[in-house]
Amino acid sequence: MTRFLNIRRSAIVNPWREASPQERRRWLTAYAFMSLQLIGLFVFVLGPLVVSLYYTFTRWDLIAPAPKWTGLGNWQHIFQDPRIIQVLGNTIWFILWATSSFLILSLALAVLLNQRRRGTTLFRALFFLPYITSQVAVGLVWSWMFNTRSGPLPVFFRHLGLEIPNLLLDESYAMMAVATVATWQALGYGITIYLAGLQGIPGELYDAASVDGATGWQQFRFVTMPLLSPVVLFLTVTSFIAAFQLFDLVVILTGGATGVAPGGPGGSTRTIVLYLYEQTFLFSERISGLGYGATIGWILAALIFVVTMAQFRFARSTVFYLRDEER
Amino acid sequence: MRATRPVSSAFYYGLLGLLVVAYLVPVTWVISTSLRTNANLLRPDQWIPNPITFEHYTTGLLDALPNLARYTFNTLRIAGLSTLGMLLSCSLAGYALARWRFPLRNVWFYGLLATMMVPGHVTLIPTYVLFRKLGWLNTPNPLIIPAFFGSPFATFFFRQFFLAFPRELEDAATMDGAGALRTFRSIVLPVSKPAFIALGVLHFTGMWNGFFLPIIYLQRKEQWVLTQAIRSLLGRYDSPWGEIMAGVVLMTLPIVLMYVLVQRYFVQGITFSGIRG
Repeated sequence: MTRFLNIRRSAIVNPWREASPQERRRWLTAYAFMSLQLIGLFVFVLGPLVVSLYYTFTRWDLIAPAPKWTGLGNWQHIFQDPRIIQVLGNTIWFILWATSSFLILSLALAVLLNQRRRGTTLFRALFFLPYITSQVAVGLVWSWMFNTRSGPLPVFFRHLGLEIPNLLLDESYAMMAVATVATWQALGYGITIYLAGLQGIPGELYDAASVDGATGWQQFRFVTMPLLSPVVLFLTVTSFIAAFQLFDLVVILTGGATGVAPGGPGGSTRTIVLYLYEQTFLFSERISGLGYGATIGWILAALIFVVTMAQFRFARSTVFYLRDEER
Repeated sequence: MRATRPVSSAFYYGLLGLLVVAYLVPVTWVISTSLRTNANLLRPDQWIPNPITFEHYTTGLLDALPNLARYTFNTLRIAGLSTLGMLLSCSLAGYALARWRFPLRNVWFYGLLATMMVPGHVTLIPTYVLFRKLGWLNTPNPLIIPAFFGSPFATFFFRQFFLAFPRELEDAATMDGAGALRTFRSIVLPVSKPAFIALGVLHFTGMWNGFFLPIIYLQRKEQWVLTQAIRSLLGRYDSPWGEIMAGVVLMTLPIVLMYVLVQRYFVQGITFSGIRG
């Protein structure tokens, strides 16, 4: 046994002992450069990850001195919680609306703006404006746009002789209205990223295609789309992740006013993160306080992980990468 | 062979102009409303206010939010200091990952990459408990200090940037006997402006516009940031829309100006780092 251990021990190379003095100095320098980020990785990411997993097995309202162990209580509860079904449904509904309209509309606009003409830079900048605006500001503006008393949308339709209700107060339309606002705000970002991709496509490919008699649509379908697919993947993955975490916009649009609980009407716009926030920090909603909040957080992380992995998996057969020598 | 017929300029600009105008209706509405008198506030036909007034920007906003200067200062402090911290910690780490081989480098690199996928909401609750124990609730610390200890996304971004960057200059400096930190400061920093600006602007904008963390950590009124202050103007039944819209314009303007000023670097920085896949 000792012999075996001895062999094993000598097989493990200690890099520090083998290294030359210069190498050791370089390693120390590298670790000095990395130190802040490494401390952060442990203190603000890995440590909290472990602790938050622990919290999912506890109940804690922050008033009691310490979390109380409840075993699988939170996990049992979350799979029977009718609210969580509604919250997941709302979030998925939002994601489908917001990401599909975002991906398609910003691609259309990017193609339109991808022209060697004067003034396209200005147009790009104008489309970018809402993206750099706070979601709070955007939410405030749109909550007024939808306002039936004075908001431009209902007033506009009234001029056409149509009475439309305040979409944000209508259970079946509220989430769609939120998704529309989210898309409106994000378009400029999508356009910018798509344009960077479009400009990376070699012009000769289009020349070759048109020599072969390809129509504009065929060029788009068989040259642009395949070469743009890595960008589409990037935007799909990132926009799904962002959409899963919807919070600010929905809080302002559906509960901006003090004293009005966000997530309405009838809970139809309550998202996962909003539910997490309510369960963790608002006394009126609490089931098991931090413990339940942490459990919701893990559900969210698991969903994001599964969806992202599925997207990458799907991408393996559909995304097309130009090899370096072809660029 | 059929040449694709170029669309006429008139048609192209007409279409684009129409789209932009439709797209920016809410923006013009905000500006228009912020310049109306209270009597005309709810009139849908007044796209161009008549008369134009600046009262919402001056007395109106100050009456509604007497501590506006304080909120602006709070926001600026949080956004500025956390940007500084993020740039410092992440540029150093990204540089080390891009330039040197050292034990466990790949472990850290892939570790950081993996944590990029973890949503902040999972780690939120333990960090909240930690900051509460430290007595940091209702102080700007929870929004500033973590930035000094890196951010996986930004570190990854800097690594990509430095990887794409020629290292000959630094080699020359090292041969002259300059230490790593000095080389970094005097050779690498000056030529990496695009990356620092691109990432700095992104981070600053995110902090300036942020709402989720402020409402969790900054509940006492004197610690509020601008987003919280403007949101507090919404009333249950009626709201001072003129002041709200003026506030929206005022809080957006600095960010727009910043983007206009650094636009050139911004595009460079993004393309350098290879975000386009």
